[in-house]
Amino acid sequence: MTARSRWEEFKVSMQPRIKEWKFMFRRMRESPLSVLGLSIIFGFAALAVLAPVLAPANPQDPFLIPQDTEIYKVSPVPSPPSLQHLFGTTGDHYDIYYACIWGTITAFRVGITTVGISLVIGVIVGVSAAYYGGPADEILMRFTDVIIAFPGLILAMALVIALPDVLFLDISLMLTIILGITMLFAILSRAKTKMTLTVLTIFVATLTLTLVYPLMLRLPMNRLDKVLIALWLIGWPSFARVIRGEVLRVKNEDYIEAARASGASDIRIVMKHILPNGVYPLLIMASLDIGAIVLTAAALSFLGLGAPPNFADWGQIIERSRNWISRQEFLANAHVFIIPGIFIFVFVLGWNLLGDAVRDVLDPTLRRK
Amino acid sequence: MGLITYVVRRLILLVPVLLGVSMLVFALTMFFPPTVRALLYVTSEKALTPENLKNVINQYHLNDPFYVQYFTWLTQVLQGNLGWSKVGRMPVTNAIIGRFPATFEIIVFAAPIIIFLGIYLGIQSAVYRDKMVDHVSRTASIIGWSLPSFWLGLILLAVFYGYLGWFGPGRISSDVADFINSSGQFTRYTGLYILDGILNGQLWVSWDAFKHVILPATVIVVIDIALIVRVSRSSMLEALGKGYVIAARAKGLTKKEVVNKHARRNALIPVITLSGLLVGGLLTGVTITETVFAFGGLGSWAAQSAQQLDMPSVLGFAMFSAIVFVITNLIVDVLYAYIDPRIRLV
Repeated sequence: MTARSRWEEFKVSMQPRIKEWKFMFRRMRESPLSVLGLSIIFGFAALAVLAPVLAPANPQDPFLIPQDTEIYKVSPVPSPPSLQHLFGTTGDHYDIYYACIWGTITAFRVGITTVGISLVIGVIVGVSAAYYGGPADEILMRFTDVIIAFPGLILAMALVIALPDVLFLDISLMLTIILGITMLFAILSRAKTKMTLTVLTIFVATLTLTLVYPLMLRLPMNRLDKVLIALWLIGWPSFARVIRGEVLRVKNEDYIEAARASGASDIRIVMKHILPNGVYPLLIMASLDIGAIVLTAAALSFLGLGAPPNFADWGQIIERSRNWISRQEFLANAHVFIIPGIFIFVFVLGWNLLGDAVRDVLDPTLRRK
Repeated sequence: MGLITYVVRRLILLVPVLLGVSMLVFALTMFFPPTVRALLYVTSEKALTPENLKNVINQYHLNDPFYVQYFTWLTQVLQGNLGWSKVGRMPVTNAIIGRFPATFEIIVFAAPIIIFLGIYLGIQSAVYRDKMVDHVSRTASIIGWSLPSFWLGLILLAVFYGYLGWFGPGRISSDVADFINSSGQFTRYTGLYILDGILNGQLWVSWDAFKHVILPATVIVVIDIALIVRVSRSSMLEALGKGYVIAARAKGLTKKEVVNKHARRNALIPVITLSGLLVGGLLTGVTITETVFAFGGLGSWAAQSAQQLDMPSVLGFAMFSAIVFVITNLIVDVLYAYIDPRIRLV
């Protein structure tokens, strides 16, 4: 079979999906709210990309807010917006404008990595639970329940304070565990003998490596890294639940039976037939989740558990105004929390508008009416 | 009979979840040195001396492997001892009981507004889909949902406290607090100041407490109403598209009648589930709002504990939340079957 005909074949097989996407985009263009959401997100993306131009990077570390010590001397009183400091400064004279611009990158980093990783963990757990069913389902879903039973913010708080400053990771051990799980899946899904044997060989090799010469990785973690890890760990269960439901829904459809009858392996069935059919609710959730995650991260920062002080992060700036709540200066220094708050709010609003619009477009019970 | 077996079965299933929660919670403590973990077993302030902590470490085998420690800790917890709260300066169990009324007071005001107003707005925007009502209520609820709660709280404080001077932070004003704590004329029957004020015949105490509840409750309503609006809208839209609704319209009933009698009842089922879960979540999850308003409820206590590395309090709170969550879930499921006769629990 030549490359060209394969491409043609691919095009033909993708035709319905392309049509679907076109329909989606047309519907989304019609709704002003989704256009607004998209433009907000693109606007923030532009801010993030142009950050070095808009606010020249701090030579030490671009994510550290420059402190204006020379002009004002360090004083605990914030200064109002001026030409030199467009949004004013916080107490101790950290520039709010700089924090807001570079905070955009932090927000994208927190939102997108967290959702990405939660999505991957959630899909792996949810699909394996639903596809294998029985005891695997029971164990995985009870574990998911345990995490959901916690209030997310408190679990994140506990994790942030509990995680050590330096994380020692035994890479070879992790590799062994991952390979072990792969092997288990290969055996369970009756993969080809050759493949199973290869995985088995590598598994034994890494296992001996772990026992004889463990490869340790020393990872220093700052507070933001801890926040990220905490958010990954609390984020995945909701994805796992949704994808499990989706897989259960399509698992017994005729076309899955047909695929199985024609000898497709479990992994192929999951990747080619089940996931594409269950992926839309996940996309909606992911979009709505980015907003929620940025809010949680900001809340952690506000509680003094998020990004380290002087790190360019929106919530962290707001935290600096918390101490004057019951004092006279509270109103005079309102710019310190109002401006970064607007950034958080608009960013989250953008993702929520987008998620809402996508849901309206994709929800089979609401669309095409 | 069926219902009772169902509830019992669910309560039995609760045990593994709680065990899992406790394991997770305990795993987190293993990051800390034994002197910090010793606080999990302490029951009074006098026991906080270094020698005593050393005794505790020996007594509870805190240098032993984790599974030994887990079982000693679990027996402690099963006896009702969750450790000593550094922040609350009392045993964790007492701290939870003492702070719960404050949180409850906010929820009592916020939850009914969220649920009833949310359902009303959701149904209106479904019935008048793509009309003005729909756009306004959806936009407003998305905006509310996107607001950082601490930011909204700070702005409300800036306006109503800093500028207008109407409502202050805290649970009650300081002069009222003096009266409650030291005059001897005030008995705390329930811990809910509004109710206690009425029971004591001191209506001004109730009024003051009420004024302090308004702002936190507003924050929670503005932020959480979006969930109810969204779900009741989409489930109402689904109901309105059902065959029996079209049939009812076709046989000549008015739109109002069909909406109120045929569609709404069916649309409310998922909303009721969600409302239950929401209230359960609120009981343990108003951390940020309480912190902003210095309200002194469960959530702000947990946040403070986390900041000061007070592990026993955080763990105790986590266990408490897990129990509340699981029980709310159970209540919702039972309620669900009660409302919708098509659902059989057993």
